[in-house]
Amino acid sequence: MADYDAIVIGAGLGGLTTASLLSKNGFKTLVLEQSDIIGGCCSTYESQGYRFDVGASIVEILHPMERFFELMGKRREDYIELLPCDPIYSFITEDGRRFSYPTDVDETTKVIESIAPEDVEGWKKFASLGFEMIDRMMDAMMLSPMKTVPEAMRMVIKNPEAMRFLPLLMRTHQAVTRKYYRNPVIQSSVAFQSYFAGAPPEIGSGIFGFIALTEHLGIYYPRGGMISIPEGLARAGEEHGLEVRTGRKVEKILLDGRKARGVLLEDGSEITSDIVVSNVNAKVAYLKMVGPENLPRWAVKAISSYRHSMPCPMIYVGLDTKPDLEAHHTVVTGSIEAMNKVWNDYYTKDLIPSTAMSLICWPTEADPSLAPEGHHILNFLCNAPAPYAPLGDNWDRIKGWYREEAIKSLERVVLPGIRDHITYMEVSTPLDFERRLLSPQGSIYGLFSDMTSLALFRPHARSRVVDGLYLTGSSTHLGGGVPTTIASGIITSGYILKDRG
Amino acid sequence: MKNLKKALLLAGLLGMAAAYMAADDSTKRYIAHIGKQVPYLPYRYFI
Repeated sequence: MADYDAIVIGAGLGGLTTASLLSKNGFKTLVLEQSDIIGGCCSTYESQGYRFDVGASIVEILHPMERFFELMGKRREDYIELLPCDPIYSFITEDGRRFSYPTDVDETTKVIESIAPEDVEGWKKFASLGFEMIDRMMDAMMLSPMKTVPEAMRMVIKNPEAMRFLPLLMRTHQAVTRKYYRNPVIQSSVAFQSYFAGAPPEIGSGIFGFIALTEHLGIYYPRGGMISIPEGLARAGEEHGLEVRTGRKVEKILLDGRKARGVLLEDGSEITSDIVVSNVNAKVAYLKMVGPENLPRWAVKAISSYRHSMPCPMIYVGLDTKPDLEAHHTVVTGSIEAMNKVWNDYYTKDLIPSTAMSLICWPTEADPSLAPEGHHILNFLCNAPAPYAPLGDNWDRIKGWYREEAIKSLERVVLPGIRDHITYMEVSTPLDFERRLLSPQGSIYGLFSDMTSLALFRPHARSRVVDGLYLTGSSTHLGGGVPTTIASGIITSGYILKDRG
Repeated sequence: MKNLKKALLLAGLLGMAAAYMAADDSTKRYIAHIGKQVPYLPYRYFI
């Protein structure tokens, strides 16, 4: 008899969602997390009285989270307190101009009118189509499995209006942006979100162009830091007997022929279960934990063909003063051409750009309890994206240089004199991300996302090569992000309940 | 009939080549990126 009904490798949002839903349905479930803290990229660590978010900095599109708690028979408010953030973004353009987008659509119209009156009509059309898509398709797109042709067809038959929106998947982010906006400043204020899906505007899928619109439904910060989300998911599961063990690293997925039978831990111990759910990067799951020797050749070719998503160094800053910022997120960005140039002329050539997009997150604006009284924190993503292996060097050696460049960047563009107010500063490089999260090459969104690696072409949540192995998280449909990985957990648990429930 | 099919295929290929040549650099990079991934799609579908 197996030790557990299901073992989940990794306590990221996808893993915890799957595990909690299985526990609720009577499965004796164990989550094994290699780190000392849960949440993966959606986590928070404490140092010198400050609480910094590891990666994820906000939550939008609440529906998957609300759906999770509904399936658990609980109320989200009892587990996670969400603080609304408004405005959504503050922008600093190449020429130093500042403006903000509020959540209110009419107020946003006024902002666009003040910058580019010629784009008001485009914004209204964009919003009209986008809100219609969100209203009619969000559930279907986020919570339906779409890995096989029959699954995709079922989704379309149930939601015939999907045919109107599917072409957006085939277009690029910049094509969608340019269809609706003419002014370069407005274009860049929408196009930069392509990098939130891990690709430049000229490659990223047009469907992500509407991320900018979903934020007008509200963006939220969880009280206590981003870790409050995985903690809430785990607590809901623990009330149904879910067991979460941290500091337990899985080395191998044990097989009996082509069937999963448990896991082998780093300390040499074995834990058995007929169901193993991987919440680690799919390439790690198949090529390291299962092992290429246990896979058909075509499967090795398939999984090896995926590229990792981009890495991003993060800088965590503690301040003894209030920063001169206007929003939870401040974006420093250039034109669409500049965003593409950073990718083509720097990132793909393993170079670090001297100027590129930067994102400054100011969590203490929403939740002052994250820092000592009178202090603030900033999570700073400087000149993104940056390569995993900078040409002729490695991140451990250039960390000090990068730290200094980040301070200069903050001083030059955003906060003059900030150097004198820094009380804490840590740089988490792609190498650090790889070590801390076991995320290959420091990739922050799992596998690269474009139209050739989404939906039908992303690894299946129910493995087709190892019986009893399931996948969840950013390597599966719909990719990286808080709502998407929670949605992936709902989909994965659905498969397991269908197969074994 | 066979000759007509060949002519249509040739015309299609020439049309695609002409469209590619007329495209801007950004679109060419996009096509090149997608083109490199296409051979893997049958494998990716089944994993």
